[in-house]
Amino acid sequence: MSLYSDSDYPVRDDLVVAHDAQFERFARAGTWGTAAQRLAVIVEARRAGIDAGLLEAPDDGGAEASVELPEAVRDVIRTLAASPKDFDLSTYEAARAAGLSDPEFAELVAIVSFVVNLDVCARGIGVPLRPFRDPQPGNPSRALPDEAVPDLAFVPTIPNVPDCGPLGTELYGGHFKPWIMRALSLVPDEYRAHVELEQAQYNPLPKVPEVAYCHHDGLTRPQVEIVAGRVSALNDCFY
Amino acid sequence: MNPEALVRPELDTGVEHGVLLLAFAEAIIGTDRKALDDVRAELADALGPVAISGLSAVAGNFSKNDRVANGIGIPVDDMVLKGTADLREQLGLNDYKSAENTFRHMTDQKVL
Repeated sequence: MSLYSDSDYPVRDDLVVAHDAQFERFARAGTWGTAAQRLAVIVEARRAGIDAGLLEAPDDGGAEASVELPEAVRDVIRTLAASPKDFDLSTYEAARAAGLSDPEFAELVAIVSFVVNLDVCARGIGVPLRPFRDPQPGNPSRALPDEAVPDLAFVPTIPNVPDCGPLGTELYGGHFKPWIMRALSLVPDEYRAHVELEQAQYNPLPKVPEVAYCHHDGLTRPQVEIVAGRVSALNDCFY
Repeated sequence: MNPEALVRPELDTGVEHGVLLLAFAEAIIGTDRKALDDVRAELADALGPVAISGLSAVAGNFSKNDRVANGIGIPVDDMVLKGTADLREQLGLNDYKSAENTFRHMTDQKVL
């Protein structure tokens, strides 16, 4: 049964594939977190949205968290999930003070952002939030890219070409990538997931500069940009 | 498209069905579920049911991106910052808390 088979509105196949893949990823060990830890993070993020009135609790939320996260980490998750406009340098510093390393923090930002993405989309098409899947056994890889260096973001990132090294060349396809794409490069698997979601949900990356191109049936590019821009304005996102 | 309508939604977007699109964007990340259900139905009538998943995916995508940007503390890319001083001033973007992540590194651009 397709991920969104209960939707009254048709959902394009590439969206279904991208979203389904993300729910599967949540249930597996990441680069820095176990599957159980990752589940605890997304459960907390979703709970923050529900408590803030931004989401409606589903009858079946799926897998439940078995790991208890430190309160300071929960605060970071809740701020990012429910009040991203209030997330700033002090929030990052609080996360580090709570014991998160930079790559752990980056992975946490990634999966909180991804689960909010999926939940907003479900809300938009009028289906209950999708149940989380049971965490799978396995250990985090803890693969830290040698190419990542301290730069202008809170955490190290892999530079643009020509200083990105072999991994960066692979990730970036040999092309300049703006900050919004490089932001998660400290955790390459999360970078890849971010790109996959971006290409299905917004535009294939090579098509972004083509102002007349629209990836979505029934919509024009300006209509897409209205929604994108208004959401970001409401989130006070300067970027 | 009139970008000022993104921060002052009472203005004309210059885009067909712009009023509904702005309302959808607000409702999908807002607390009024009935407003979301109502505007979704209106948009399905106006643009066809096939447009709803695209609009929802876009809203979800930028909900993601806003959190990645604010969460990782990334600055605006140089090429975008340069040449947008007037637009940023017009839209009041420099007052966003997340602007700190850019101006912390590039204070000379803020006073242009």
